[in-house]
Amino acid sequence: MATGPALVSILRQGPYLIASIHTALDDSQLIRFQKDLIDQIGRYRSRGVIIDVAALDVLDSFGSRTLRNIAEMARLRGALTVIVGIQPDVAFAMVSLGMGTGSVHAALDLEEGLEYLDSRLPAKDVGRAVSAPG
Amino acid sequence: MVRRIVRARVADHPAADDLVQETLVRVLGAAERVEPGMLEPYAIVTARHVVASMWKEQDRQRRNQHRVADLRLPDAPDEDLLQGEDRAAVAQALKHLSERERRTLLAHELHGQDTRSLADELGSTAGAVAAQLNRTRARLRVEYLLALEHTEPFSDRCRPVLIALSSGDRRRQREVDAGRHLLECDLCARLSHPLLARGQSRDDELRIPIRADADVVLARQGVRELAARVGFSGTDLTVIATAVSEVSRNIVRFADAGEVVVELLKEPRPGVRIVARDTGPGIPDVERALTDGFSTYHGLGLGLPGARRLMDEFAVVSEVARGTTVTMTKWCQEG
Repeated sequence: MATGPALVSILRQGPYLIASIHTALDDSQLIRFQKDLIDQIGRYRSRGVIIDVAALDVLDSFGSRTLRNIAEMARLRGALTVIVGIQPDVAFAMVSLGMGTGSVHAALDLEEGLEYLDSRLPAKDVGRAVSAPG
Repeated sequence: MVRRIVRARVADHPAADDLVQETLVRVLGAAERVEPGMLEPYAIVTARHVVASMWKEQDRQRRNQHRVADLRLPDAPDEDLLQGEDRAAVAQALKHLSERERRTLLAHELHGQDTRSLADELGSTAGAVAAQLNRTRARLRVEYLLALEHTEPFSDRCRPVLIALSSGDRRRQREVDAGRHLLECDLCARLSHPLLARGQSRDDELRIPIRADADVVLARQGVRELAARVGFSGTDLTVIATAVSEVSRNIVRFADAGEVVVELLKEPRPGVRIVARDTGPGIPDVERALTDGFSTYHGLGLGLPGARRLMDEFAVVSEVARGTTVTMTKWCQEG
């Protein structure tokens, strides 16, 4: 990783990975983020992924496509993805641009995102999440 | 004591220490000639002189700043040599002016003849003479830079472009397509730096060179900041930033070099115009590139058509093997 403050943090929370993007990312940084995240899904055997994009200034065609790709790759690695924190302005611009994140589930914020994953994953996985130390 | 006198006049001016030093040098140099006991008054007078001449010097520099002299090179150890070159360059530059232009310029700058009396002599108006003087200065700056570099322009497009930049005339710059020329011509790109630095006071325009991924982020942040000043809503700012992101990504992906120029508009209503130009391979079929889903790399094919949907006005001009220019405008919604 480059020097300076982390652009993205990927935290493990039981069977989930919570990835927060802290600042505007350029294309190559997005690709690196995608690779890191997919690697970690395998390493931690994660069942769910939450991507928090609240700090992204823009979700243009490349950004949206990358999120879509991440979700699809995560699915192929056995994890369910939910995107949280899309700002209203960003949502407006994405729709005007003529694109979205397609079939990828989105939730308003982190809490809603966790709730969604809990409701979609088998109880034994979720149970592990609750009993695992934070 | 000398320090006190100097300080009293220039307060905490950064030059204060230099002035004290200079005064002391002068006083010590004169010590032998000055009667004993008179050294102190002599020092005081000297200090006053030194300070006064600094003010005069500064004042003269300020007054002359708009003139040719503002292209002086920074001081260097071999200053004498440079000054010689400098003079030679100015002389050579003056040769490129017409007799009439040269006479008018010299009468005004050196002999201090004002524009009104010049206008009487030339059978013109003071305003016209002033405008002509500005044009002459603009040309002189260009010729001076060319003479310093000991070069002649590569093509007959160079001079008009440089002169348009030098005069800061944006309409003329657009007429000669100055932005594209600077991308294509290394000489002009280099010479344009001092010319553009002169006019850097423009704060309603932003120019961002685009070469790598990171520049795309800089471009969209820059445009957002600038456009915020004319009163765009947060949603519109995001929309504009998204469109800029798309067009500048195209530059990184398809061309070696390019730039995004953002300009605030006042007429007919507040808005922002973005020009993205590159020296890439060009788009063979613009109509097709503007169609949804058409993509030459594995994208969504939404870059250009998407940007067009986001903006109010959108135009693509492209020439194969020469490059592409995207011009797009967004107007401020007035409530």
